[in-house]
Amino acid sequence: MPLRHAAALLIEYAIRIAPPESRKWGQAMRGELSFVDGQWAALGWAFGGARVMAKHALIAFFLPGRGRHLITPYVDLFERRVPNRKAVLVTAVGFVLAAFVFLAAPPFRQALRVSLEGWKGMSGLAEFRAVAKQAEARRDTEGMAFVAVRLRDDEESARLAEEAVQLDPTLTWVYAVEAANHRWLPNIREWLPKLERWDAHNTVFQLIAAASVDRSFHPVMLMDPKTRMEWVAAGRIPLAREFASSKFDDYLDRLRDLDRRVVQRYGFNDPYLVIWWEDSLPDSAGDVLSYARSVLEWGETLEAHGDHVGAAENYWKVARFGQVIDSQGHTDFEEEMGSDLQARAYKQLERLSKEGGNANDAALFGYLAGKFTKSAEPLWNGEGERAFGDYVIQRNAFVLQLSSFMMVVFSGLIVVSALFLIIGRSRRGREDPPRQQPVATMVALTSGAGVLLSAATIYLTYRPYWYIFQRAMMNGDRSHAQDLSAFLFWVGEWSRNAAFQCRRVWSFFITDSPSLHAFISLEVICIGIICVLIIFLRQFRGRPSAGKLQNHTQAP
Amino acid sequence: MKTPRISPETLRVLESFLERPTGWHYGYELSRETKLKSGTLYPILMRLEKHKLLEARWVATQDGVPPRHTYRLTPDGLELARTQLKEARSRWMVQQPALSRG
Repeated sequence: MPLRHAAALLIEYAIRIAPPESRKWGQAMRGELSFVDGQWAALGWAFGGARVMAKHALIAFFLPGRGRHLITPYVDLFERRVPNRKAVLVTAVGFVLAAFVFLAAPPFRQALRVSLEGWKGMSGLAEFRAVAKQAEARRDTEGMAFVAVRLRDDEESARLAEEAVQLDPTLTWVYAVEAANHRWLPNIREWLPKLERWDAHNTVFQLIAAASVDRSFHPVMLMDPKTRMEWVAAGRIPLAREFASSKFDDYLDRLRDLDRRVVQRYGFNDPYLVIWWEDSLPDSAGDVLSYARSVLEWGETLEAHGDHVGAAENYWKVARFGQVIDSQGHTDFEEEMGSDLQARAYKQLERLSKEGGNANDAALFGYLAGKFTKSAEPLWNGEGERAFGDYVIQRNAFVLQLSSFMMVVFSGLIVVSALFLIIGRSRRGREDPPRQQPVATMVALTSGAGVLLSAATIYLTYRPYWYIFQRAMMNGDRSHAQDLSAFLFWVGEWSRNAAFQCRRVWSFFITDSPSLHAFISLEVICIGIICVLIIFLRQFRGRPSAGKLQNHTQAP
Repeated sequence: MKTPRISPETLRVLESFLERPTGWHYGYELSRETKLKSGTLYPILMRLEKHKLLEARWVATQDGVPPRHTYRLTPDGLELARTQLKEARSRWMVQQPALSRG
């Protein structure tokens, strides 16, 4: 009995997967199963039935509507399918309209913009030029400054900065940001005295732009270690002055406040052009680290020459400067950098104290070095204060780009299937009964569902980042701006990666010498394309017309 | 009227129906008479029904046993069966001497 039971289960399962129009035949075979002599014969009977049902299921899957032709009288076919077809098309249109509703949601619109910029590569030049034009017409100095610090064009950027500061001297700090952004601008020579007069105790612009007493431009960060040491030894880098300063302000907080006001004034809705640009602005961190390294190296040189007091003085300078940055920095990165400078300096002081036989001082410096090393860890691990982990951000960026890509694909399929349906209808004429176009109808339905699903995925994926952007722009709360910044980076990265992979596949098949598996893959792709073409051709060309079928059914 | 493809298996099924032309036949009974397995027999029955050469009905059975599907040829089906079998037999009669001549 177990075999007969298994046979019954098999055929019943086959009936479930079969298309509705074939099920009565499955049930017919199931009905006979009880009368088949012998368990093995029953199992064979069930296998045969299951094979028939599976064949019909496959036909219905690949050629929707075709299965009905096998077993249903033609008259019934038309009477029953037309309302179904209309219902399917109405459902497809409903899906598309529902997807359009998402356009009313600001997070969705912003997500589309971000995704598009990820694909095409963000430049923002046109948008910035438009804002600059408006700002100049309105004599809006903040608008000019907003664009000036973002333009890559040195000359235009400097001109806007000059104009903004001339009209509003309180924006003099824009020169410092400009100097960090455009290190080779000749205007920096004129800006430095103005900056020094405007903010005498701040050391940041000196660190950024002018590494020498004679004001020739040699950013410390770009120097090789040997040159840097030579400059330190020659006294060309005014270490004492910069490292004795008690003020460190990179004007990032002013820039962010200005950004907020300009974004609200001009209705900017593009995080790439605001958050991403803020984060990609060159900061003074690299200069500070290089500078600090120079001081520590100079201390070691002095130590090697037996000048322990001079060496300790240099280490203390770095420790104090690290403390200033740690307490006055505006970003997590700056705070972590301040901790790092202190950790490096205290390690040197610990070693110096041990060598000098001062165990108590060495223990204290060791403790401080350990404490600040731990605080500086995120700097080297690339971590900051984030709501999401790197994996989540990468995944979300991937989902956004994939969904936007699929939305384009599904939209294209909807257009193609709609064209097939419209052309098919116009060729028939209105008086003829509607000809079946099951593939086009099903493609329209599944593509409509795909568009809706893609739109919903885009909206849900991007919504948290939209809130982050809104909070940053409306309330100045940038607690999770790093998440958004990292997300924007990965959106661009996935798009670049996709383009790279496409190029790689292209070169793999076309330009490189293809191997056996390349040929097999190409063959599979070609066979797939041919199969799809055959299915379409059979659906749209190879089937008898409705009129002929009706005549056929009316024949005696 | 377009007729279904007449394969040797279809001829066997039609021949089986012609043994009791007006009677109703069960699927398993046809399978035993024609020696065709369910996977071959039922597609033939489906095709015959599609072309209105065959009619089917459900017959209730005892409690707990699924109802059975029974079949018989329609007048068109009977005519086709007779014609096709006649043609097949005449073809066979022609071929036999040729085959026996070797």
